[in-house]
Amino acid sequence: MIQMYHVEMRYPGETYGLRDVSVSIKRGEFVFLTGPSGAGKTTLLRLLFGAEHPSMGQIVVAGRNVSRLSSASIPELRRQIGVIFQDFKLLSERTVFENVGITLEIAGLPRRELRARTWSMLRRLGLGHRLDHRPRTLSGGEQQRVAIARALVNDPPLLLADEPTGNLDPDLALDIMDIIADAHARGTTVIVATHDPGLLERYPHRRIVLDNGRLVMDRRPDAFPTPAPQVVWPVS
Amino acid sequence: MDRHRLRRLMSALRSGIRGIRATPLIFALSVSSMAAGLLLLGTYLLVVQNMRAVIERFGHELRVVAFLKPSVRPEPASLDALRVRFEALDGVSRVRFVSKGQALENLRADLGREASILEGLERNPLPASFEIELASESRSPGAVGALAARIAESEEIDEVRYGEDWVQGYARILRAVVWLGAGLGAFLMLLLGTIVAGTVRLALYARTDEIQIQRLVGAGGLFVRLPFYLEGALQGAVAAAVALAVLYGLFQLGLPIVGDLLAFMLGRSAPAFFGAGEIALLFVMGVGLGLGGAVLSLLRLEEAP
Ligand SMILES: Nc1ncnc2c1ncn2[C@@H]1O[C@H](COP(=O)(O)OP(=O)(O)O)[C@@H](O)[C@H]1O
Ligand SMILES: [Mg+2]
Repeated sequence: MIQMYHVEMRYPGETYGLRDVSVSIKRGEFVFLTGPSGAGKTTLLRLLFGAEHPSMGQIVVAGRNVSRLSSASIPELRRQIGVIFQDFKLLSERTVFENVGITLEIAGLPRRELRARTWSMLRRLGLGHRLDHRPRTLSGGEQQRVAIARALVNDPPLLLADEPTGNLDPDLALDIMDIIADAHARGTTVIVATHDPGLLERYPHRRIVLDNGRLVMDRRPDAFPTPAPQVVWPVS
Repeated sequence: MDRHRLRRLMSALRSGIRGIRATPLIFALSVSSMAAGLLLLGTYLLVVQNMRAVIERFGHELRVVAFLKPSVRPEPASLDALRVRFEALDGVSRVRFVSKGQALENLRADLGREASILEGLERNPLPASFEIELASESRSPGAVGALAARIAESEEIDEVRYGEDWVQGYARILRAVVWLGAGLGAFLMLLLGTIVAGTVRLALYARTDEIQIQRLVGAGGLFVRLPFYLEGALQGAVAAAVALAVLYGLFQLGLPIVGDLLAFMLGRSAPAFFGAGEIALLFVMGVGLGLGGAVLSLLRLEEAP
């Protein structure tokens, strides 16, 4: 599903987002992307859906060479990828229903199907009573679930989640992880960027660890001793 | 166009209307500035149209009158030969012979009650003539002049008249009006285009976040742009409607005030408002401007990732 070859991402002013990262993720995998704040997790995700272009190296996502994709083909790629943004990126002037439906609207689904799928997705996430609310009138956990609903409503082959449990209390975080696990169980390839040790401890998935832009560890689940080692990253 | 595209188009249109509702002030602002510009343009077109009408009418009445030499005997055979020769000339639509007797009758009719002054005449002083009507494409001053010169070459013809001073003078005015119109029109179009581009860009800034998010969740260029195109076109159409309404109001209000002056300038007929064709033209210009402005201000949108 994803191949990265010697990818380097250099921001203006000689800041490195990523340095020489090579990684391969197969269809149907569930991967944690972890490392301290500023390690390059968000940068890696943004490269995958074409929000950034790598300074060096090649990136292949679902058979497309993203590093060489024309700006006209990027929308097509993004329709295959559900993205949960760290800051949600909800449309503040639209209702919850519209925020979730936009994914299907862009995909060109018939109105009736759009309505049915959006409704059922929002109900599944416990937002059935919030359809006509604006995002800013919702709690953080509810906004997070709207963002998840938007990313998943189209059943994307690939889900990228950037700190999806970021500022939520532990119970809510588990709810969110259940929803993501559910999507994974139905065949979606999942990458979750997180620096929450609680999550890593709880779910025995493959971990890709970044530090200062470099890939420092890539561990398969079967390589974990039981119990999984506790990794605590400084939070800044 | 397949069904998916059509649906995407429809939802983009919905999104455009939502966009207008989200920023009604920007919409109102651009509509009123465009309407002001279109009003100027419309006023100008109205003036030109009415001046054209005068020229048309004048042209319609324009004819060349060729007077026969008194020495030419009005025999049917030679008159026919002359008429055939004139009819064969380029730009001539009809030739009519007016005999000395008819000319006197016409004059008598024109004089009406004053006709008694003709009573004392011993002999008809009026020459016989040919009245030559022109085909519509030859009603330009240059063509009339050339035709008159050809006719004057005939040895049977004494003198040719066609109101040359009037024709040349009016033609000069018309040319000036047309050039002025072209210049003013181009300037106004530029001004209006800039206004629209500016206001579309305002709307664009007001919705930057929205556009960015649409892009991130996979919206293509058309999905993002179409709402703005629609908004621009709608702005233009509404502005044209407003401009036409105001222009019509001014026309109705101002007519009694300047009516006499206009009647003098325009001749017998009253000034006329636009017909369906001109109204459609103004709408097309409005919509074209709105669209053009939107296209202009969206040109740079593509690069952002
Ligand atoms: N737009 C940007 N411009 C400049 N530097 C950036 C930008 N985005 C990220 N960086 C830098 O790249 C590095 C990696 O950032 P990021 O990918 O956000 O890390 P993480 O998501 O792991 O916290 C950091 O040093 C950060 O300062
Ligand atoms: Mg981050």
